[in-house]
Amino acid sequence: MVALEFADFEVDTCLDCGGIWLDSGELEMILGQDVPIRVVADSGDVSVSKRKCPVCNKKMSAYATRSPRATEIDVCTTEHGIWFDRGELSTIAESLQEPLRSTVLDQMRAIFTKEF
Amino acid sequence: MWELIQQNKRRSIVLFVMMGAILLLLGYLIGAAFAPPDGGLFGLVLAIVVWGVMSMISYFSGDSIMLNMAGAKEVTREVHPQLYNVIEEMKIAGSLPRVPKVYIIETSAPNAFATGRKAENASIAVTTGLLEKMNRDELQGVVAHETGHILNRDILFITFAGVMLGTIVILSDMFLRGMRFGGSRRLGSSRSKNGGQGAAVLLVVALVFAILAPIMAQLLYFAVSRRREYLADATAVRLTRYPEGLASALEKISASTDDMPRMNKAIAPLFIANPIKAAGARMSNLTSTHPPITERIAILRSIAGGVGYLNYQQAYSKIKSTREQVLPKSALEEKDVPTARSASPEVVTGTVTSSPKRGINDLIRAVNGFAFLTCTCGLKIKIPPDFGKDSVTCPRCNQLNKIPVAELAASVAVLEGIGAKGVEEEIKSESTYKRQSQSWESFKCACGRTIQL
Ligand SMILES: [Zn+2]
Ligand SMILES: [Zn+2]
Ligand SMILES: [Zn+2]
Ligand SMILES: [Zn+2]
Repeated sequence: MVALEFADFEVDTCLDCGGIWLDSGELEMILGQDVPIRVVADSGDVSVSKRKCPVCNKKMSAYATRSPRATEIDVCTTEHGIWFDRGELSTIAESLQEPLRSTVLDQMRAIFTKEF
Repeated sequence: MWELIQQNKRRSIVLFVMMGAILLLLGYLIGAAFAPPDGGLFGLVLAIVVWGVMSMISYFSGDSIMLNMAGAKEVTREVHPQLYNVIEEMKIAGSLPRVPKVYIIETSAPNAFATGRKAENASIAVTTGLLEKMNRDELQGVVAHETGHILNRDILFITFAGVMLGTIVILSDMFLRGMRFGGSRRLGSSRSKNGGQGAAVLLVVALVFAILAPIMAQLLYFAVSRRREYLADATAVRLTRYPEGLASALEKISASTDDMPRMNKAIAPLFIANPIKAAGARMSNLTSTHPPITERIAILRSIAGGVGYLNYQQAYSKIKSTREQVLPKSALEEKDVPTARSASPEVVTGTVTSSPKRGINDLIRAVNGFAFLTCTCGLKIKIPPDFGKDSVTCPRCNQLNKIPVAELAASVAVLEGIGAKGVEEEIKSESTYKRQSQSWESFKCACGRTIQL
């Protein structure tokens, strides 16, 4: 994974598969203060993910979200951050409430011109 | 200064003999318990051999063992200029023959230690938590305390004693573990073979001693290390001429609730503050390797009139209301006592990022050999050393950026202590992925996905 930093915002990404990793701290920076990590990961069905957290290397939890499309996001059990497969973050961002929605999309568009 | 060093040396010798005696007795009892009646002698010889080997190892590479156990990584001036500057300042203030090597330990708990054989090859290690939480004066105070250990010739002793303590801990641990699993069987068999009530008694004695030995060794260590901590504090005050720096650093360190997860008992005494804050550990001053931190702070804060050794001794006597001399005579008779300076102004450099956490993360990346490039569009790209390609397409502007593979390999080489020879080979092996067969090949992507070629 490489880390990308632009205008005081940092995101980790895998350039081969297009996956995005958001640290808990970075997430707070885009969503504003005190937003728990699971606001993004909708409280859908939880199962054990195949993927490991890049910080603690433990298996993450997979949260199944329905709206607007069925996606599965991997969240570290000790809240180190969230892993989004390619395209998942934009899908999730579309489903967010308005002030949050444009904040997330603007931040991500500033870095990834192709994806968002 | 000489008497001070001599006194330290004498104390070290007494301590070594006593710790060694504990080690030998432990060896004898373990041997005797396993194979009475002649096993005791074998155990004794074995303990001597282990002791000899461990002493040799700690003399020649005790420092690197300590640094390894603590998970410390060497950094250069480029990686953390401020820390490097502070250490250089202390080198000058204390007239050390060489700038100590600088190491960083990745943990949120603020702490630091010094190690090495002598001042010529000393190392100072600090945690990332320390760099994150301290201002310049506080960092200087901590580094000065560690420099004090180097100047007072504590580091060889601390390294030696740490390894010796470690040997005792490991030996008794192994014995106790072995007893837990095969103990009862062994007890039965030895009883039938030798008809020995004596053997059973010996086993119990060995068990009790195996439990007590590490504690006794630690107490012995404590008896000497306490004075060393006060002395290092006094030296730090003299070197920085600013007692408040170390005082508020110690305050921040003791206020931190972070534990250092990788620490074990053997290297805990090295640190400026005990890295293992087990429940209730704060209460038991007797078994602590460090004097109570609140007392050290109180002494530092009541230093008045100057920042020499005598001023520290006076503050010590006042706070502890004792006439005991914690510092050696020669130190107290020094002429020209230095005067205190005022706090240094907070300098805001141009490169400060809005998040201190980011700076620390980048520091860890630099230590781990990441390459940093800034695309012309302004996007900063931080590339891990195992990236495996020599260019990267900017996801922001689509421009192809060349990765400075040579620099990357060189910096990795510097950080890992590889000579210039290894660098060329590094570049070759890192820049291209060679297909090893005619068919498809796959390798694991950093994210865990498998990529096919
Ligand atoms: Zn990937
Ligand atoms: Zn994690
Ligand atoms: Zn110390
Ligand atoms: Zn670019």
